[in-house]
Amino acid sequence: MAAVGERRVSYDARGLAEPHAEAPRVAEVEDGRAVFDARDLTTRQINLELRRLLYEEDVADVTVQNPGSKHSLGVGILTRCRITFEGSLGYFGCGLVDGPEVHVKGRVGWSACENMMSGVVVVDGNAGSLTGAALRGGDVVVKGRVGARSGIDQKGGTIISLGDAGSMTGFMMQRGRQILCGDVGPGLGDSMYDGTIYVAGKVKSLGIDCVPGEWTDADTELIERKFRIYGLGEPPAFQKFVCGKKLYNYDNLEPSERKLVL
Amino acid sequence: MATREPEKIRAIDAEYLAGRRFSYQEDQAEIEDVDLLAATPGEDLNWLEDVELLEEDGMPAVFDRYSNSFLKIYFPIPAGQEDEIARKVLVKHLQSGSSYGIQLKEKHTKFPQPELGPWVDGSPTVGTDWHPPVLEGWEPPEGH
Repeated sequence: MAAVGERRVSYDARGLAEPHAEAPRVAEVEDGRAVFDARDLTTRQINLELRRLLYEEDVADVTVQNPGSKHSLGVGILTRCRITFEGSLGYFGCGLVDGPEVHVKGRVGWSACENMMSGVVVVDGNAGSLTGAALRGGDVVVKGRVGARSGIDQKGGTIISLGDAGSMTGFMMQRGRQILCGDVGPGLGDSMYDGTIYVAGKVKSLGIDCVPGEWTDADTELIERKFRIYGLGEPPAFQKFVCGKKLYNYDNLEPSERKLVL
Repeated sequence: MATREPEKIRAIDAEYLAGRRFSYQEDQAEIEDVDLLAATPGEDLNWLEDVELLEEDGMPAVFDRYSNSFLKIYFPIPAGQEDEIARKVLVKHLQSGSSYGIQLKEKHTKFPQPELGPWVDGSPTVGTDWHPPVLEGWEPPEGH
């Protein structure tokens, strides 16, 4: 026992808030599919249960009931699978994933799908700011609106929003694509280095070095394909925006710095 | 006092990390059976849409983001198939477990995950029993 006044510091090198949490083993598994209720579980318990099912039980289809807008759910899933959240997620949902196909039957908070490497995330409702921050690959489909700075530092992948997008959308975007079906706030594509932004609605203002681009058959093919895959109906007419390359100086960068955006 | 500049590696490629070249870098026949659609989530190429043929040290190459290195391609690449070939070589590299990032997983990964990521079904799980490395003879500072 620690004496009065003695400091006892315990920590986990992985930075875990609940270092000793264990998977609650509450899921019902049948025919390769699992369902569990997250109402009374902590964030870490929910994620541990997900990983247990996907990595240990070889379940490839998991439904999470009552996610309750908890933060950081469904993060770090690194395998091919299907995950359905029957409700909304809080901040940083489905971040750092590589491979899963996720359906969120609700809304998501800030920074959904940040640093996603591959996979598909479909959100039935709205998404907060910073959606798809530093996205590396895969598709993020938001059937509602997306907040400010969606696709900030995007390095690949595709963000689709059927609604409006906030200010500074595509800020510092470096690769990838955004398909925005509604209106867009001020500063679209500010300081973007590369990538393509398609907008069907009105653009409040363009950011620094974001300019209209020339439409090609490849643009039409991309948009028609994504709308068909996700059942989004007939695509509206889009304007295309790209980097004006006034700020573009990759050729002068060190090789290791160039790799950061690949 | 005589000093010598340390060797500076400016372009780390996959061969440098692995210490050897892989046969699929030299023989197109070895990548012909790679099914790109089956290897990726969703109904199209998904993340491979962003992968294209690049150049490193004057050679055609594809970038392996899982090891932060270029994978050079030594066989002739037919015109019009540049990106497809690059993607197939990369997927073969990942599925075979040759990527240096994958080789590090067994020892260093902190959380359970499939060793061969999302590219191979039924891959063994690694990272289930991670402990922080201990430096022999090291003692934590007082109060920790």
